Amino acid sequence: MDLITELETLGVNTKEALARFMNNSALYVRMLGKFPAAVKDADVLTHFQEKDYAAAVSTAHTLKGVTGNLSLTPLFTAYTDIVALLRADEPDKAEAVLKDILPVQEKIIACIEKNS
Amino acid sequence: MNNVILIVDDMEINRAILAEGFKNEFEILEAENGLQAIELLDTHPDIAAVLLDLIMPEMDGMGVLQKMNDNGKILHIPVFIITAESSEKMLMDAYELGAVDVINKPFMMNFLRCRIGNIIELYRHRNDLEEIVNEQVERLNKVNLSMVETLATLIEFRDCESGEHVKRICGLTEILMTAVSEMYPEYHLPRSEIEKIVTASILHDVGKIAIPDGILNKPGRLTKDEFEVMKQHTTRGCDILEQIPSVMDDDIYRYSYDICRHHHERWDGRGYPDGLVGDEISIWAQVVAAADVYDALVSPRVYKAAFDFDTAVKMINNGECGTFNPKVLNAFNASAEKIKREVIITEND
Repeated sequence: MDLITELETLGVNTKEALARFMNNSALYVRMLGKFPAAVKDADVLTHFQEKDYAAAVSTAHTLKGVTGNLSLTPLFTAYTDIVALLRADEPDKAEAVLKDILPVQEKIIACIEKNS
Repeated sequence: MNNVILIVDDMEINRAILAEGFKNEFEILEAENGLQAIELLDTHPDIAAVLLDLIMPEMDGMGVLQKMNDNGKILHIPVFIITAESSEKMLMDAYELGAVDVINKPFMMNFLRCRIGNIIELYRHRNDLEEIVNEQVERLNKVNLSMVETLATLIEFRDCESGEHVKRICGLTEILMTAVSEMYPEYHLPRSEIEKIVTASILHDVGKIAIPDGILNKPGRLTKDEFEVMKQHTTRGCDILEQIPSVMDDDIYRYSYDICRHHHERWDGRGYPDGLVGDEISIWAQVVAAADVYDALVSPRVYKAAFDFDTAVKMINNGECGTFNPKVLNAFNASAEKIKREVIITEND
């Protein structure tokens, strides 16, 4: 199974993403390859643990944009909720959403790393 | 034609997607933060649009918009906010700072290309039109100026003077007006206004066209009655200008009218036609009056030889040619060497 097909099984809307990438699947795969490093640079969980919610909202916001553009739909939905909850002053609920989504994020990253 | 799109986003992935969407029609520039974007905007005059993320390190999107407002670039370059931001307030702030459109991430590339392409096309038309209008205004101004100069030259031929007189009055007005403006804050005028006054000075004697030849070119001293007729060149000049207001820019018309009427007024109230006193006379009319007197002194006339420079300066300072505002006299004396050097009487005069 190639990367794009495998990502579909994880809920990634690859059809929408390919339209965004002007059907350039090579570019889409190349940009997916940059996602694991982008996540490592944007460690939302540490910000939560340090209770630095300003940094958490900024980082979650960045990931919302990137996951949206890559159509990593489950992650995009979660980061959208996390940003909204943090802005509504609900850090505990936001952290709970993050903890729920991290295993999915890890699966997606593992899938990308395996195929690149 | 401006053909560069500047993409500003701290995430390479986002920049790469946007670049892919536009690379066939545009040259692409990328910046990772607001500071880099400002640098690129300063060094690339051919940017057709900016695709701007809001939340970035170093300088954020709002900072870029603010800077583009400060330097006026926002008027000529459309800025699109491409953001995952959904805060209404932040998006409204972006619009208020001049962003033309807000496009949310994730975006659909086809729609994005249409929206951005349409606006770029509109801005190109607008910028082209602006350039055409500016060129036409410049051409019109040149035509107007040449009409004004033609009119003044016609009068000079009747007055048996050469066209050099008008050129010298312009030169003298420019030097004196600049000196007065620099030396006395109460008379300060921006450069653009001084340039208009210099143009307006061309027509100071336009009314002489209405003075009969026998008086205008009389080789000897004028009788009292003849002098009364001669004095009318100030008010007759205004009558003429009233017939041709559309030839000139509004400001130049206003200055011309005032200079025409009042360039024979004197500081002590003994001038004509209105007998204005002191600062009732505008500073530009005072300056042209001083310029006119100096030029008459150093030029030969049918009834007198030319005075040399030093004698002319002395006569003006002694009050032999009427009383002048002491500040205008100071400016005249401070500029005397410049006048001697730059405003030359040629042998034909």
